[in-house]
Amino acid sequence: MTEETITPVRAAVAAAEPTSDVGELSQWQLIWLRFRRNKLAMGGMVILAIMYLVVIFAGFLSPNAHDTQNLDYIYGPPDPITFVGPDGKLGLRPYTFATTTVLNQATFKWDFEIDRNTRIPIQFFVRGDTYKILWWQNDLHLMGIAPPDRLYVWGADSLGRDMFARTLVGGQVSMTVGLVGIALTIFLGSVLGTMSGFYGGAIDDAMQRVIEVIQSFPTIPLWAALAAALPNVSENFTMLHRYFLITVILSLVNWTGLARQLRAKVMSYRQADFTSAALVAGASNARIIFVHMLPNAASHIIVVAALAIPGMILGETSLSFLGLGIQPPMVSWGALLRDSQQVSTVVQHPWLILPGIGVVITVLGFSVLGDGLRDAVDPYSI
Amino acid sequence: MLNYIIRRAGYALVTLLFVAIVGFLIIELPPGSYLDFRLRELRTLGGDYSVDMIKALEQRYGVNDPVHVKFWKWFSNFVQGDFGWSFQYERDVGELLSARIGYTLMFTLTSLVVSWVISITVGVYSATHRYTLPDYAITLFQFIGLSVPGFLLALVLMIFAQRTLGMEVGGLFSSRFRDAAWSWAKFVDLLGHLWIPIIVIGASGTAWLSRVMRGNLLDVLNMQYVQTARSKGLPERKVIWKHAVRNALHPLVMVFGMSFPAIISGETVISIVLNLPTAGPLFINALLQQDMYLAVTFLMFLAVLLVVGNLVADIVLAWLDPRIQFE
Amino acid sequence: MVQQQPVHAAPTSEAELVLRIRDLHTYFYTVVGVAKALNGVNLDIPYGKVLGIVGESGCGKSVTALSAMRLVLPPGRIVKGEILLNRIRREGDTYTVLDEVNITDLDPRGHEIRSIRGREIAMIFQEPMTSLNPSYTVGNQIVEAILLHQDVSKEEARDRAINILRRVELPNAEAVVDRYPHELSGGMRQRAMIAMALSCTPSLLIADEPTTALDVTTEAEILDLMRELQAQMGMTIVFITHNLGVVAQMCDQVAVMYLGRVVESAPVDDIFYDPQHPYTQALLRSIPRIGSRTKKRLEPIRGVVPDPYADIRGCPFHDRCSACMPGICDVRVPAMSVLPGKVGHEVRCFLHSDAYEGDDGHVA
Repeated sequence: MTEETITPVRAAVAAAEPTSDVGELSQWQLIWLRFRRNKLAMGGMVILAIMYLVVIFAGFLSPNAHDTQNLDYIYGPPDPITFVGPDGKLGLRPYTFATTTVLNQATFKWDFEIDRNTRIPIQFFVRGDTYKILWWQNDLHLMGIAPPDRLYVWGADSLGRDMFARTLVGGQVSMTVGLVGIALTIFLGSVLGTMSGFYGGAIDDAMQRVIEVIQSFPTIPLWAALAAALPNVSENFTMLHRYFLITVILSLVNWTGLARQLRAKVMSYRQADFTSAALVAGASNARIIFVHMLPNAASHIIVVAALAIPGMILGETSLSFLGLGIQPPMVSWGALLRDSQQVSTVVQHPWLILPGIGVVITVLGFSVLGDGLRDAVDPYSI
Repeated sequence: MLNYIIRRAGYALVTLLFVAIVGFLIIELPPGSYLDFRLRELRTLGGDYSVDMIKALEQRYGVNDPVHVKFWKWFSNFVQGDFGWSFQYERDVGELLSARIGYTLMFTLTSLVVSWVISITVGVYSATHRYTLPDYAITLFQFIGLSVPGFLLALVLMIFAQRTLGMEVGGLFSSRFRDAAWSWAKFVDLLGHLWIPIIVIGASGTAWLSRVMRGNLLDVLNMQYVQTARSKGLPERKVIWKHAVRNALHPLVMVFGMSFPAIISGETVISIVLNLPTAGPLFINALLQQDMYLAVTFLMFLAVLLVVGNLVADIVLAWLDPRIQFE
Repeated sequence: MVQQQPVHAAPTSEAELVLRIRDLHTYFYTVVGVAKALNGVNLDIPYGKVLGIVGESGCGKSVTALSAMRLVLPPGRIVKGEILLNRIRREGDTYTVLDEVNITDLDPRGHEIRSIRGREIAMIFQEPMTSLNPSYTVGNQIVEAILLHQDVSKEEARDRAINILRRVELPNAEAVVDRYPHELSGGMRQRAMIAMALSCTPSLLIADEPTTALDVTTEAEILDLMRELQAQMGMTIVFITHNLGVVAQMCDQVAVMYLGRVVESAPVDDIFYDPQHPYTQALLRSIPRIGSRTKKRLEPIRGVVPDPYADIRGCPFHDRCSACMPGICDVRVPAMSVLPGKVGHEVRCFLHSDAYEGDDGHVA
């Protein structure tokens, strides 16, 4: 009785009955159809896919290993790259320039000077530092220059390590923290939220109080306080432990949002006809939850999860930046940016903030992806 | 209405009690706290003075008491305004924080006001110009604002200000005014230092709020009463501002309680980069040094702000929206 | 069935028509395709009458109304057609036509259409629960409309608002004027809505299922009220509904719509006693009649309304029609034609005329 005049658009879509192709699409096909038309979200997805490939093949793509120190190139600037050859003509082969170290008589520091007359050709598929991609060890690099020189496209840090390599390797941590964290969040959020909504009563009350208390703290300070309780990396407490516990801390705070939303969904499903039908048919609680309710809420869970990933990545970045998250020798974008906490240092060596580009692109990618998913799943709730 | 306020305040108090328990747990959580360290130090030092000190410390923090007694000691002291001792600075926590919290509030409140004004205007504009070029541009800026961590934006702006504009940034005053008496010139210098913090602290909040406002307004624009208003022959401007925006503001008031601590949360990190004399850097440093009474007091302060903020938001909403029943 | 004497004779010239809709096409360009909500609607709305528009959900009744107000929002758009409004000045029982406006030519946000909305054409919506703004009092919303179209002071406008609230038989109008919508029942809200619509004495009132969301008793009261006001004010009403009982009670002339087209148009008695289109006949067979002697079963109409994205060849009703003639009905779209020997009874069916539209009735 209300299907007609809410808005004309709704009427047009709501009236869709299975006659044309449109009416026969499944829910997921329809979501995919709408998602695909959202160019921004598709762009986000493609960029994320590229980013993941890049960080997975970090060792191959970067000219040096991320932990190779070069004491002759401490705080060395990025090597300029040109396509103008020694003959002064534009070509396909990229060149870089030779860099010499000069003692600054005034400050008694080593300054780097670029010799614009000496071109060094950049070679492709060269052998260099060994690296590992998962268990596969190799020393083939996409680009490089003839040893003993090294190519630093994004400059070097305080120990003369390649910032480009470090950024790519740091991405392996930063880009997975969000995913692992969100997996935990989905697990916690859906189990607790569903229980809360399905059983109601005392369980629900208790759960709501817990959620309320957790949500009474601002996220970053709470994360920081919890992370501060983690022991420092030692023999008994490896980098991997710390990485995992950081994701646990991130999701311990984050599950509440998903739980609240799922609770509301499950509560509304409890009154729905399909639940009554299942109950009458003698289905168990578990069956009702897993076969009837969760599949219905699946698209919703995915959207909430996708929208939560950026917060997690930013959380890890902030924590590591403050020295409370990932700690050296493990690298993450936040941990790398910690080197630029001293403003005087960054102003002199601005390439130290280049890992930030990784953060921005990844978070941007997940944001538009999540946004597009939400629009695709539920085009009327904005 | 009064009943409603009392009931909501009651809920808030219960929540705060639980918040205090969490705060206490966080104090107890770290394996090697400053207190343990100090006690060990005193024990190895020996001597009458040390024995007295150990006793006094054990008495005050209830080191040997069962957990609930320990909690009660801390909690009753906390409520009375005795927040504990900062072992790192050898000073009273209350004293340390009160010197800096004024700046924290100044920065966050200014940023909050600026970001609300911008958010509402921008949100209304982009919702009413949906799928146009400016809307896409605004959306792009919103996404970027949400994707750039505050401290990174601060770093970029500082590098820009220093390298391109040749300005000395960071801190609240230029070096020549730092110890000078208040004067017009010093005030102008202060203003010159304020814009970066305010932009940076407000950026992500503005991006998020204006997005929320856009969404709310788009929702409201689908409501029947907006069509009714149009069908009366009202000009679009009035349809939007009188009939739609008023109703789109309700959910925004609901997130008000959240947005304030979110801004403080960001400010905590940003202040470190910008070298601001606020409570944020103190807090992070305390965490790094396991100076837990200082850290938890600040955390509790934020939680109280959030709970009270939510309470205020509830009350304002009840006053704004005639439909909310005060049973 | 309530029978009302027509206020005026059947329309003989275009001057007696308040609104003429000609070949109106309104499409919605949605993500999943183009929904053709209106595929060439023709309607004549005679002055001082109640015209009923009947049809199932999704047949385009509401979109027709919204198109006439130019309130179709993107992604919807009027693609083709004309909506001609005669601006009428009324003095007692006589009226003169001032000028004629083609509404489809107007800027949907412009000054001219806004001076028509509320003053010439007013509209009542289906959902009394959501059609008043929850944040303002009823009085505020009525006064707003009065101040917009009439040159009166605020106090005067408030008096008029109270008056009009009395007129729609709201008890305690002086108090209701300061109430918020949520403090009123559904029926009271719909009365307030009617009051708001009538506050500027429009020459045409479009009521889009105004009683659908109400319970039966309240519905009867509201219908009585509307009929009464119509008789008193000599107002023209377009009454949109899917309820044939309401049509019988309210309307003088009826247009039956199916899938974005008018398929039959006739005086109310002809629709009920001599329906010609198979769809109208099917609609009538699907509702119970009190006092029917024969023990007949109610017949639901076969099939469902095709979705508006579907590209149907031939008569849009042919696949649900019991009298479908293969080779004819599924090839071409029948044109509207006057039934011989009847006044104002038109039908769009090959059983009655061989006239058809275009090649296959689709607009390029």
